[in-house]
Amino acid sequence: MKHYTEEDLILHYYSERGRRTDIDVHLDQCESCAAAYRALAGTLRLIATPEAPERGDQYGLEVWQRIRHRLPEQEVPWWNVWFRADRLATAGAFAVLLLAAFVAGRWWSAPDGAPAPVVASNTQTVTTPVSDEARQRILLTAVADHLDRSERVLTEIMNAPAGEDISSEQRWAEDLVAASRLYRQDAVDAGERSVADVLDELERSLLEVVHTPSQATAAELKLIRRRIDAASLLFKVRVLGRELREREAPDRPRTRTLSSQIS
Amino acid sequence: MDVSDATAVLAKARQGDNEAFRMLVEQHSRRAFQLAYRITGNQQDAEDVVQESFIRAYRQLSRFEARAHFATWLHRIVANCSVDLIRSRRSRWDHASMDDIAPVEQPCTESPDPERLAESAHIERSVATAMAELTPLERAAFTLRHYEGRSIAEIGQTLGLGVSATKHSVFRAVRKLRTALEPLRGES
Repeated sequence: MKHYTEEDLILHYYSERGRRTDIDVHLDQCESCAAAYRALAGTLRLIATPEAPERGDQYGLEVWQRIRHRLPEQEVPWWNVWFRADRLATAGAFAVLLLAAFVAGRWWSAPDGAPAPVVASNTQTVTTPVSDEARQRILLTAVADHLDRSERVLTEIMNAPAGEDISSEQRWAEDLVAASRLYRQDAVDAGERSVADVLDELERSLLEVVHTPSQATAAELKLIRRRIDAASLLFKVRVLGRELREREAPDRPRTRTLSSQIS
Repeated sequence: MDVSDATAVLAKARQGDNEAFRMLVEQHSRRAFQLAYRITGNQQDAEDVVQESFIRAYRQLSRFEARAHFATWLHRIVANCSVDLIRSRRSRWDHASMDDIAPVEQPCTESPDPERLAESAHIERSVATAMAELTPLERAAFTLRHYEGRSIAEIGQTLGLGVSATKHSVFRAVRKLRTALEPLRGES
């Protein structure tokens, strides 16, 4: 006769076995298995379900009050992360930025009168270089776009109510810091001092935004805003952006230069 | 928003609507507390587990499949939070006050005599001590099987274990409890 193990009997006690009838029949016939089962069941019956302390009807509300200010940001599925409109826009902007930085690096760092770079393959095919004018326009457009985006972030920060979550603005600012650094270096190389100075101030303010708590207090926001105001940064960014757009379209009548307006 | 329209409430909560999530918290807190209390055996720990579970649930709402039942999903989080908490507070558990354990429901008698009440209290304490000796996983698996009446397959899903590992967690728990409680059988 086959006897059942303790494990079989535990599963039987908890009705986990499909062959319940088989075990029941066996327990009727086998005194040793029946005794083992009685001992097991007797012990498990001692373990009564503990009654949890009663929680009132308002308990759910109490829990909500305790957690409502601690709720984190919801996780976003990876496909949503990549296909969110603002992410796509950022990715697109970065692609343009990289292209512009590449062109700008070649244009600004080239010594006066140096021949335009020509790329030749071993089959003697010669590619036509991008003209200086075209390069300049791409760069001006990219920097002007960068300033527009920065202006929007700074405006959001200037108008954000205290305690509101500014994490999306911070992510945006973080992306812009890297771009700003790149443009500033190019501007320094090209001797565009006023552009480099504005980009330097912009970079510092953007970094401050990035490093502020995402739910900034009124005092923290006030500090950032005071610095932005003190440097007249929004004004400078707006004016420089406009100036670059005008340089981009040389046919249009030019307004006063940035240096003349901000000095 | 009508709280009885669970699908709509859930959909709103998944879109980041805090009002909808508040409704879910209000609706499921008591049951979550009950489960957390049974696994942790301690009121304060159960409170902590409930709060942490809702915070985790909020963060992971995007992972929740709309076809599933929110309560089942939440209880999975509660069980795992409880296991995590027991693990992290193991030392505290070793010195847990048995005063925290609520009276166990016993079959009613017309007039329970003092001797019987004392005996019940003795059993409760012995069970609580024996339960405290289980590993966090054994404790959670046993609680879900013995108190909550969940099947081995459901427990495995809840705790992220295979069927075999789940069975063995329950078997080990039962063996340890038997060893600790066997002497009481003769007394009761």
